[in-house]
Amino acid sequence: MSRVETLIETLAADARPVRPLRPPVARAMAWIAAVTISGGLAVYLLADVRQLFARYDGRAEMMALEMAAMLATGVLAIVGAFLVAIPGRSKRWLLAPAGPFAAWLLLSGAGCYRDLVRNGSSDLSIGHSLDCLIFILAVSLPLGVTLVWLLARARPIDPLPVALLGGLGTAATAAFILQFFHPFAVTFVDLAIHLFAIALVVSVTALINRRALSPA
Amino acid sequence: MAAAQQGDAAAYRLFLTSVTPFIRAVARKTGRWTDDVDDVVQDALLTVHRVRHTYEPGRPVKPWLAAIAARRSIDAMRRRGRIGMREVHNDVAYETFADPRANNEEATDTARTLAQMTSELSPGQKEALALVKLKELSLVEASSVSGQSIASLKVNIHRAIKKMRRNLAKHPRE
Repeated sequence: MSRVETLIETLAADARPVRPLRPPVARAMAWIAAVTISGGLAVYLLADVRQLFARYDGRAEMMALEMAAMLATGVLAIVGAFLVAIPGRSKRWLLAPAGPFAAWLLLSGAGCYRDLVRNGSSDLSIGHSLDCLIFILAVSLPLGVTLVWLLARARPIDPLPVALLGGLGTAATAAFILQFFHPFAVTFVDLAIHLFAIALVVSVTALINRRALSPA
Repeated sequence: MAAAQQGDAAAYRLFLTSVTPFIRAVARKTGRWTDDVDDVVQDALLTVHRVRHTYEPGRPVKPWLAAIAARRSIDAMRRRGRIGMREVHNDVAYETFADPRANNEEATDTARTLAQMTSELSPGQKEALALVKLKELSLVEASSVSGQSIASLKVNIHRAIKKMRRNLAKHPRE
């Protein structure tokens, strides 16, 4: 009996029943629904939505598009993370959030430029931007932990793409929630700090990918 | 595979056996090798076992399986690359200096060369050589042991040495 045949016999002898994972999109939607409920509750109880619209007076449509792009980045990255964690699913999901992410940067950058022209160089101070960094990191932590816990159930055979998408999804969701608590319209410095926070979250998840996702 | 997920050992065995050639083909195609392919196949089968809960019943099994086989093949290539970069093969490292009898690599080589050299000798030549040159018997003693005449012994020894010299020239020791 060859080594392969012996192994097959051993594995067949260990054929305990396993419960198949639910479809990845359904699992992603369950996580997104849970975050929507808890995030929505926090916004309802703690945020002032009317003030949000007041801050973006005159460019409300742009702000709505910007937030839609943020949300799309987060949702596509999270759905992609659940999908690429399963063997055989398309790796093209890695590129899925690229479009909305670029749109988010463009729209946000254009808004910042418009405010800079209107308000002058006072927009270039750091001000409360560091609070945004702390907010994104603090919100990303519980989101990331629950997401990684769910993603690890698939024991991804190639964990890095899963970690990258999961990190981006987490950070984009945190940045989206931040918009409801932001004390002022986003400036260039602020935008840069948001991007730094996102890069930090993605880097951390990428660094701990093997430990956190228990790959097979 | 769906039956295997429910704990059907016979179905699982059949599944693993029937997909092994496919895994082997993917490993060969991805890795472009032949020597380590069995290791990759075993690694892929173990991975199939670990992640069998990720197969979604009703979906085609081939892409799922191909991704696992390709990943394990790539992992094996990377592992080999890493080992190749950091480690070199050193025959001397296997010598156990504490026990000189264990360092018999050279003796094995010599024995192999000798076997090659004597392989073409006739039985009579071999016998004559063994008795006179190795056991160091006199021609008379060798003649009484082997039953060959002294003249035959001399001729056999002469021809054996000549043939061995020719052999050695044809296949010099590496």
